[in-house]
Amino acid sequence: MEPMLIDATERSPEISFDFVANNYLIRGESYPEDVNEFFGKIIEALEKHFATLDGAVVNFTFELIYFNSSTAKILMGLFELLDATAAKGNTVNVAWKHEEEDDNMQELGEEFGEDLEHAKFQLISIES
Amino acid sequence: MLAKDMLEFRKHLEAQGILFCYSGYMTEDILLGIGNALKKKMDIQDLDAKKKRAIFSIFVEQMQNVIRYSAEREMHKETTELSYGLLTVGEARGKVYVTCCNVVNAADAERLKITLSRVKGLDKDGLKALWKETLKGDTPEFSKGAGVGFIDIARLATGGIDYDFAPLEDGLLFFTIKAYI
Repeated sequence: MEPMLIDATERSPEISFDFVANNYLIRGESYPEDVNEFFGKIIEALEKHFATLDGAVVNFTFELIYFNSSTAKILMGLFELLDATAAKGNTVNVAWKHEEEDDNMQELGEEFGEDLEHAKFQLISIES
Repeated sequence: MLAKDMLEFRKHLEAQGILFCYSGYMTEDILLGIGNALKKKMDIQDLDAKKKRAIFSIFVEQMQNVIRYSAEREMHKETTELSYGLLTVGEARGKVYVTCCNVVNAADAERLKITLSRVKGLDKDGLKALWKETLKGDTPEFSKGAGVGFIDIARLATGGIDYDFAPLEDGLLFFTIKAYI
């Protein structure tokens, strides 16, 4: 499967998905005009690919500076997908990177991460 | 006379600590434009990152509420829609506030009252629980967004939120929400 690379815009994050190495990155700000239009195809591609995995190691990194409430809904679904992928015999490492002084973003990461039962979760503070 | 009138208007805004004021049709482009100006202003003021993000988040949620839900809107060929609203961002008593107003119909006003009184009565843990429940649940049918915007606003508004409705003609109401950060 070809990698999925989308450049960041003022209001949508960078997407960098390597389906062969199973490394995934979502980075930047996210408050698109229409979240479903932006994330629809991305989530669909992940769902399709993750369904084929068995015994794989998946590394998924979130490095978000800001996201709106519509994006939060998408992220919640994505975390559920990652946990389900881990539950069926894959190793899923989720990393949530946040700016050191932004404890709201840290707290949001904790809240998404605490529901993961099968995937491994790591909070990483980065210097802003 | 012209300049004098407008100066009076500006003084009226300044007296209330208003830094930004926009009244008119709101679009996603306008959200982006005002949002960028707001970010620059906050950078100049040297606010800490957490407070800046909170103000910006509340601004986006409030603007998107108007764009999606204002009952005062014009349609063009079923594709272009313009929603009317009023936004102010200001400072008072050491807090920044974001106020947004738009016209709503009676049914929406009832729904807003239920949602907002529930949200206003919750503490930090209660808001977190409702936030998660809403994110995991199905999006309400009437909601074009995630239905979680007001919970986000309440969670980020360290100085609390106020809301109010003023009656207009034809059963419509003028809805105002003010969040303090």
